Amino acid sequence: MSERPSTLFVIWVLVERDLRTLVKSPFILINRTIFFLIQLFVFAVLVSKLASSLGFNYFDFYSVGAVVSTITSIAFIIGEDLFEEEELGLLDYLLSLPFGHSLFVVGRALGGAVRGLIYVTPMMILVAYLDGYFSPAGIAGSLIVIFVLATGISGLSITLAMLIRNANRFDIIIALAELATVRVSAAIYPLAFMPKVLQPVATYSPVTSASDIVRAIFLSGYQSGVYETVILVLFVAVFFGLGSAFLFRKIEGGRFE
Amino acid sequence: MIVFKGVSKSFKGFLAVKDVTCEINDKEVFGLLGPNGAGKTTLIMTMATVYRPTKGEVIVDGHNASIEQDKVKSLIGISFQDPKYDRILSAREILEWHGKVTGVEKSVRGKRIDEVLAKFGLTAESRKRTWTLSGGTKKKIENAKIFVQRPKVAVFDEPTAYLDVPSRLMVWEMIDELRDEGSTVLLATNMMDEADRMSDRVGIMNRGEMVQVGEPATLRGSLRGRDIIEMKLEVPIPELPGEVSKTEEVKEARFEGDTLKIMLSNGRGLLPYLINVVTAKGGKVQSVSLKEPTLEDVFLHYTGMKLS
Repeated sequence: MSERPSTLFVIWVLVERDLRTLVKSPFILINRTIFFLIQLFVFAVLVSKLASSLGFNYFDFYSVGAVVSTITSIAFIIGEDLFEEEELGLLDYLLSLPFGHSLFVVGRALGGAVRGLIYVTPMMILVAYLDGYFSPAGIAGSLIVIFVLATGISGLSITLAMLIRNANRFDIIIALAELATVRVSAAIYPLAFMPKVLQPVATYSPVTSASDIVRAIFLSGYQSGVYETVILVLFVAVFFGLGSAFLFRKIEGGRFE
Repeated sequence: MIVFKGVSKSFKGFLAVKDVTCEINDKEVFGLLGPNGAGKTTLIMTMATVYRPTKGEVIVDGHNASIEQDKVKSLIGISFQDPKYDRILSAREILEWHGKVTGVEKSVRGKRIDEVLAKFGLTAESRKRTWTLSGGTKKKIENAKIFVQRPKVAVFDEPTAYLDVPSRLMVWEMIDELRDEGSTVLLATNMMDEADRMSDRVGIMNRGEMVQVGEPATLRGSLRGRDIIEMKLEVPIPELPGEVSKTEEVKEARFEGDTLKIMLSNGRGLLPYLINVVTAKGGKVQSVSLKEPTLEDVFLHYTGMKLS
């Protein structure tokens, strides 16, 4: 007979499952890595030359934003996973395993964030190197920042997955949500160059906050403070809480029946 | 012991399980018999805390499944009807992860996985992604999860579906071993021979209700005095069941395809007479058999329908 596993162990095993499936999907990994490298070494280099006349180093600015937008994109996958798990009946299996439903919810949300973090860590180190930043403590701090962001995005994705019951509709909404969170932010272009109507929204975007904090760590001439941190923490608190609550309610209430 | 007390479960107004009350003893193999859609899987999922009962309660080893979910789930392992695991992973990875998450100690996990894979003849394929494997192999992996876990309550939902004969026998042998080690086994099946061979007791489910519970021999015995005559006719004649039912000893008569099935007492003595009745009505008898009631007949008796 088997022993009942501990809480931390269960969370780790749930996260491990997400990592195993990610590693087993090399096409996704290769695809996103190639996209990242092309964006960095072709797009950013090119635009940086165009913007050099303005005295603005776009490459440095974009390199951080590219990592932040990549982890945002990966963290959104968790919602699709939930739909797929339901479709394949995997959710029944997962819910029958010896841990509470609330632990399952936490494990899924953290799993989405952790696999994003593991995936972008080499990218973050590459960007730090390209930006001439070599402090391990600073790099570790920047990874914590994007992990926090990814946890909130996972929560947002789970919330949307729970609110939208149709998989096709979810695919469309999640694509739009990803587009909005990355494009209406200062991840890939400065706020000052954005249309005036979008600037207020982008200012309060958690993606902007995460990008600004990491830039302030890596690059000279950039600043961030309590304001960005508060936005980021609020975003995580709201959507991690909402996503967990919605998923928990769906599971407890008979799920996707 | 597992106790179902007036358990009902509905989905959007559809009552999948209706007021089920029964007990499953420790260390017994309890066969849950019923056609597809009878409510077997829903009942299992309610016991496993995946579904919350709409009414009633399930007690597993003294723990209420609606309140002490974690404790109940730590006792149970389910082999699902349709394999449920990440098909991008290999059999070994699936079993490793399942063993780990269900608390099988690392020191025994690897050895147990090797043993189970070897028994199922899966060692050579154990590192292939499971989506590339055949339906039967996928089912073996689903069963293997439980043989690696060895839970106190092992649930098998149609464990031998898609399997060839040697594999079926292997699964049965391994379920017997599990029971001998002290597990209680809940076996949901729609295969009569499986239920008859494996179960200490069976529960017959139909349309969400538990219509009868008992030992297979006792259930068959409840139809004692009910011999069965099967007459295969060239062409079925609709009025024949009514005609033969006029005989006092005939309890029930019906056509199943072109075979007239007659349940009666003293079948041997009445056989010549009944053949005369049939032929007098123009029936052309192609073959006749006389047999004792089977579990299939018990099922037919209590539900009014065939299982397969």
